[in-house]
Amino acid sequence: MSKTLMRFTGVGGQGVLLAGEIFAAAKIKTGGHGLKTATYTSQVRGGPTVVDIQLDDEEIYYPYANDGEIGFMLSVADMSYKLFKDGVKLGGTIVVDPNLVHPTDEDRKKWHIHEIPIITIAKEEVGNVITQSVVALAIANTMMNAIDKTVLIDTMLSKVPAKVHDVNKKAYELGEKYARSVMDK
Amino acid sequence: MATREVISTGNELSAMAAVDAGCMFFGGYPLTPSSEVMHEISDLLPKVGGVAIQMEDEIGGICAVIGAAMTGVRALTATSGPGMSLKAENLGLAQMAEVPLVCVNVMRGGPSTGLPTRVSQGDILQSKNPSHGDYKSITLCAGSLAECYTETVRAFNLADRFMQPVIVLLDETIGHMHGKADLPTAEDVKAGIVPRKRFDGAPEDYFPYECEPDQPAVLNPMFEGYRYHFTGLHHDRKGFPTEEIETCRKLIQRLEDKVELHKDELESYEEFMMDDAEIMIIAYGSVSLAAKESIRHLRKEGIKAGLFRPITIWPSPAEKIKEHTDKIEKVLVVELNIGQYHSEIQRAAARLDIEGLFKVNGRPISPYEIVNKVKEL
Repeated sequence: MSKTLMRFTGVGGQGVLLAGEIFAAAKIKTGGHGLKTATYTSQVRGGPTVVDIQLDDEEIYYPYANDGEIGFMLSVADMSYKLFKDGVKLGGTIVVDPNLVHPTDEDRKKWHIHEIPIITIAKEEVGNVITQSVVALAIANTMMNAIDKTVLIDTMLSKVPAKVHDVNKKAYELGEKYARSVMDK
Repeated sequence: MATREVISTGNELSAMAAVDAGCMFFGGYPLTPSSEVMHEISDLLPKVGGVAIQMEDEIGGICAVIGAAMTGVRALTATSGPGMSLKAENLGLAQMAEVPLVCVNVMRGGPSTGLPTRVSQGDILQSKNPSHGDYKSITLCAGSLAECYTETVRAFNLADRFMQPVIVLLDETIGHMHGKADLPTAEDVKAGIVPRKRFDGAPEDYFPYECEPDQPAVLNPMFEGYRYHFTGLHHDRKGFPTEEIETCRKLIQRLEDKVELHKDELESYEEFMMDDAEIMIIAYGSVSLAAKESIRHLRKEGIKAGLFRPITIWPSPAEKIKEHTDKIEKVLVVELNIGQYHSEIQRAAARLDIEGLFKVNGRPISPYEIVNKVKEL
């Protein structure tokens, strides 16, 4: 693997930042280079947020993902989706929460768009809405095959309190399951 | 020298560096995009017996730091552009009274409150002269995560050596980006600390501002029996206000010369692929990261571009810049303002044909924008 560029978008407060940090740290653990940058607005809660994640075997200089080079984007807010979708390269993969994000027919011709109800999974199946970032993490990693699963889960667990380890492991497994089910379609 | 790998953000690394460099006091007021410096150091300082305090405003923050520094401890404040404007008066006081302190400025869009969460390098000229009057600012600019740490450490050492504020410039991008940094160990940082000079004679013989014309004042810690007067007015050898002609002239000349005549101790820059460069890009801070990536692309296309990156921004490495610009015809300054350092490069190079690529909309300059500009030259 050489370079993986991923973009997570949502609105401030949803916890998309954490997934980026976990990816970067896990890549660094395996001896590579990982970098996360976040862009947000003054309206911290509710404003559009974008997190760029770069994973590379070589040293990374420019910390943002260049528009048109992003292979994978995940979005849980319509306004952020619309603002940032054009950074994804043609034929790239986009995962959206269909309850919150509404791609156009034209979008579906440009990109492989998958619909996974990320927030509902976190809220109802895992039982804790905060785990949506881990559901998202699992979906991204399953689709991009970016990091060894064990390393990624270990890194994730090192960043969350011990009392929520089980619920986050469950969130990861569910995210992976849903990702596989849409990929098989 | 041993190193350690740390995964963090630029802001957090700056706070960590301060504590490793022996800083025992932080005074400030949280301001985006610098808040994580305060957040992190508020966690770290109490663990080593230090104190972090959120003051009532930015002015209170720097005043508390001046007070702490006068007791002999290393002290830090952190802010962004609007906070720098508020701190300016007291940065001038610290220049005049020769109080060593470090001020981290994580740059965002300006003027005024500008673009709070967006990147900019609009404070370059402000950091040269934040306050009125004559003095010589020392400003360092981090161009990587590791330098957020190492330049903060260097700032503390320079503040004590030159007895004045030292500004560390970060920007929103570098302050918030999260990744790997290879750092010197805390033990090595501690071993590199040179304590502030002290006067050990009899207290009645103590004249803190009586020093060689190219040397800083020797301020002993307050409350240890060595008395002096502290003022922003022109002052005599004991610190008392004076209008005596020669004393006034010598004081201000010394503030200039203590830095100007020792620039060699301050100079710091990076040359990236400059050996055979036919095009010189000049950039600093986070923009230099885009510049490095653009050079990778340009070199693949056979275009010999290189980067000159000043790390000590003020005083600028003017002689080194001139050495390059005398040889290289095509020179491009890339920065997130409308040419604030460009004018300094023109001055240093004594050339008016220095090209510029500037951006002031709060968005970063991408490597491709630099590639395209270089191809137009």
